[in-house]
Amino acid sequence: MINSAYFMSMLISGLKLGSIYAIVAIGYSIVYGILRLINFAHGDIMTIGVYIILMLMNQAGVPIPAALLISVAFSVGVGLLIERLAYRPLRDASEETTLISSLAVSALLQNMLQMVFSAQRQPFMLPEALRTTHKIGIVNLSTINIITFISTAIFLVILHLVLTKTRIGTAMRACSENLRAARLMGVNVNRVVMTAFAIGSGLAVIAGFLLAGEYKTVYPSLGFVPGLKAFCAAVIGGIGSLGGAVTGAFIIGIAEMLFAGLVPTTMTAYRDAFVFLLMVIVLLFRPNGLFGGSETARS
Amino acid sequence: MRKHALMRKAACVALTAAMTLAMAGTAAFADEPIVVGGIFNITGDQSSLDEPTQQGFELAIEEINAAGGVNGKMLEAVYDDGKTDTAVCASNAKKQINNDGAVVLAGFSDSDFAYAAGAVAQEAGVPFVFTGATTPDIPSTVGDCAFLCAFGDDVCAHAGADYAVEELGAKTAYVLTDNSMSYTTNLSDYFIERFEELGGEIVLQDYFASGDYDYSAQIARYQALGEEAGILFMATGPDDASTVIEQYRSAGVTGPMISGDGWDTDLWGVAGDLANQDVYVCTHFSSDDDSEAVQGFLSAYEEKYGKAPENAFAALGYDTAYLIASAIEACGDDVTPAAIRDALENTQDFPGITGTISYSAETHVPDKTVVVCQAEDGLLKFRKNI
Amino acid sequence: MNKTYRITDCSLFRLIVFVIVPLIILIRCAMQPTSYITGIVITMGIYIVLAASLNLINGFSGMFSMGHAAFMAIGAYIAAFFTLAPQVKENMTPGLPAWLINLQIPLAPALLIGGAAAALVALIVGFPVVRTKGHYLSVVTLALIVVVRAVIDNQGDITHGSRGLTGLPAKSTILSVYIAVVVTLFVLYRITHSDYGRGLIAMRDDPVAAQTLGINLVKKKISCFAISAFFAGIGGGLWGHYLTTISASNFYFSKSFDIVEMSIIGGMFSLSGSIPGAMFYTIVPEFLAPLESGFNLGGIRLPTMFGLSNIIMAVLLIVLIIFRGQGIMGTSEIILDTWFSKDTYLAPFRKEEYQRLAGVFRKKSS
Repeated sequence: MINSAYFMSMLISGLKLGSIYAIVAIGYSIVYGILRLINFAHGDIMTIGVYIILMLMNQAGVPIPAALLISVAFSVGVGLLIERLAYRPLRDASEETTLISSLAVSALLQNMLQMVFSAQRQPFMLPEALRTTHKIGIVNLSTINIITFISTAIFLVILHLVLTKTRIGTAMRACSENLRAARLMGVNVNRVVMTAFAIGSGLAVIAGFLLAGEYKTVYPSLGFVPGLKAFCAAVIGGIGSLGGAVTGAFIIGIAEMLFAGLVPTTMTAYRDAFVFLLMVIVLLFRPNGLFGGSETARS
Repeated sequence: MRKHALMRKAACVALTAAMTLAMAGTAAFADEPIVVGGIFNITGDQSSLDEPTQQGFELAIEEINAAGGVNGKMLEAVYDDGKTDTAVCASNAKKQINNDGAVVLAGFSDSDFAYAAGAVAQEAGVPFVFTGATTPDIPSTVGDCAFLCAFGDDVCAHAGADYAVEELGAKTAYVLTDNSMSYTTNLSDYFIERFEELGGEIVLQDYFASGDYDYSAQIARYQALGEEAGILFMATGPDDASTVIEQYRSAGVTGPMISGDGWDTDLWGVAGDLANQDVYVCTHFSSDDDSEAVQGFLSAYEEKYGKAPENAFAALGYDTAYLIASAIEACGDDVTPAAIRDALENTQDFPGITGTISYSAETHVPDKTVVVCQAEDGLLKFRKNI
Repeated sequence: MNKTYRITDCSLFRLIVFVIVPLIILIRCAMQPTSYITGIVITMGIYIVLAASLNLINGFSGMFSMGHAAFMAIGAYIAAFFTLAPQVKENMTPGLPAWLINLQIPLAPALLIGGAAAALVALIVGFPVVRTKGHYLSVVTLALIVVVRAVIDNQGDITHGSRGLTGLPAKSTILSVYIAVVVTLFVLYRITHSDYGRGLIAMRDDPVAAQTLGINLVKKKISCFAISAFFAGIGGGLWGHYLTTISASNFYFSKSFDIVEMSIIGGMFSLSGSIPGAMFYTIVPEFLAPLESGFNLGGIRLPTMFGLSNIIMAVLLIVLIIFRGQGIMGTSEIILDTWFSKDTYLAPFRKEEYQRLAGVFRKKSS
């Protein structure tokens, strides 16, 4: 039953999934690296972004690139607003309290989305041009898949350059290393955190766009589970390491698809469980993830 | 026939229902209204099913009141959000019975909530009509106060198997099951049972969990079989329906697909024209049924909510309200939970838009006709009554 | 009397507020077993058990678990296996061993077995879990929920799959639930006040120092995890026998988050905090519910706004943790100190208690 074409198609599906998780995971990783905050609302910002694009496309007839830009701008605004209202006042509180705050924000956003857009799944159709499939060798890829791969790479490079070559990037890395020391050295922590949230939210929207485009549908809780899986990816890769987050995302994406494809049918529904188990196993042997440095105690 | 008259009267005023609502609302204060409880999971995972149900229910209540109520009394519906939490649902049932004085309750598209809230109603002796829950053993588990508005999963899935074998000539079947929902688990079990009884062979049963929204592994495994199955039975909820069609058809799967009433929803949203290729749905009614009642419902729903019914659950909510009204009407002046329960049990040939409902002391699951439809040009076209 | 007393220091006052008033409410509820309020009070009791057991691990050990729903599910299913009628089990769970199918025992031992099963699972998964730190641990416990749900949904022979178990005897009454509440709180209270508990707190405050003092961190963490899971299992069992039906989807992320939120609202560093936390979580939404089902405001019927109460709850939660991060109770154990102290119950027989109470009021009025 398993032949090479079958295996390849699973592998390609895994890569597709992995590249979307990767973009979400980068955003997660940046915010977590600096604030040590598991931002449960990250996936919901992704959903908001998709709904905005949907509205702009369907009701105002805005072309996709413009819709995407407006949505990114809007969602960055939402991300910053959330940071200002729900996270900044808790900067000095324990990690757990911030985590709860993010859970509350997530519940808030999901319920608001449902009130505004209803709970029904809505079709999210990309223009024909983006959906055409190309046959490359034995695999089928649509234009949007190719865009996904390329954009993942581009974002990774840009972010790497921002983090290593710019002042704010250096400040971000410093904060990620040791927030208190960075503050003492005169780093404007608020600015760093806001930048991190802006980048994270912007990337979330792009990931949401790709995810909804791939599966052609959007609903209020769309982002929650992919958000969690992307966090798993970031954890597997080692939080704070961008390369790690991307590697983790591809590992999860591919492992998820191979698992779903290769195990006996009675096991396929264990798919999500497998992803989480994979993370637990990695953590067992590498408590700081594959590429994470040793986590020193920090305040 | 009385119930028929009630139905027709309401259908005539359906279009003006929204306008007359205000009047009906004030009139309700004049005479003591009859309180009907509605518990729907408007938020949480169940919301995509329960939201349309509640809207259909509300629409019917408004129509009934606009048409003068039941025996001159207005119906006052109280609604509570079950929040997709069994404890909240049970608590809501207690509140509506004890505090709001509801004499009959309605709600739920899933058996979990039906069992939890139904037990409360049973203890209080208040009848509970489950709008969309289809597990056939609900009444026998909960007790004699529980009634299903929809047919049981067994009837639905058996009809699917019959249709597949008799009309589509299927000898082999592929079954896809959403393992995280009771509805879909039941549906595929009953389908397999009947299909094998009819001499068919299940070539592969595969599983997923709702929310996966990526079926490439399942599709690849199906295609690895090397040949199309005679029928693909897709046991998924309404949320996943269009996505499943789109992904299977895009991947080149051409076999005929059939599913239960969960697929009586917008199959074309994601799948577009792909949904018009050999897709069959075993459901409660067909939207191209040109009877006055069905068309009246469709246009009234669109009028009130600005959209076509999202899925079959809207029609079930609508029917439940009329079913309850007809039972209350049969009670005359003795509007007590016990009397309504008895009246519900004695319901014979209630003409709902989702089929004819009859109950007896033996069974509170209506033996409705299953309508098999085929997806065609954005509509579910009638094919056969089973 | 040189020392100035605050009213909360008066045993008599505490007896009235924390013992007599709740007791009266409970007795009233017990007299109307089917009323709506009783239902809420029972739910609240179950949540107290769950939140208190979560507080032990999250507040006292320094680990932050979000996997309580997993242990609830295990406790609920195992307890149900023991209380369901044999003929029901033959239908729903034919995969169980024959002796278990034919066995039917009362609620209390079934709950204990359910709790023990949850504790056993916690012991097994404890080894990988406690190896992780901080947020990693939280996410690993979330993973546990996913795994437990997947197992329950997919082992249909034993668990009846996603269809869940039905027909559980409705044995979670005010009496049984609140006996469980008192027993749970008492045991946890004794634990936190024992050497073991002090060791936990030491470990929370400074793991390195605790280790140098001879505390075996791994042993401590795993045992604490298991104790917490035990009571979560009991809570799950009570939950099932209150609603008479369980399925894996009832014990998923949202249930776990609810309990974590309750624990934070009440104050996770205090076992007493579980009480106001559970109260807040069960009572406030009931007041908010009328808002969303379209109430009459001066003759105008407001439209229905389902979801509004969830939004208000979320906002309230954010505001609460911003302005009172350590929760309602902070680190105070005033409720449990009152419950489990002999002085409280002797207070009515002591003259000076009355004088003290009078003193407080005299001071206030002057």
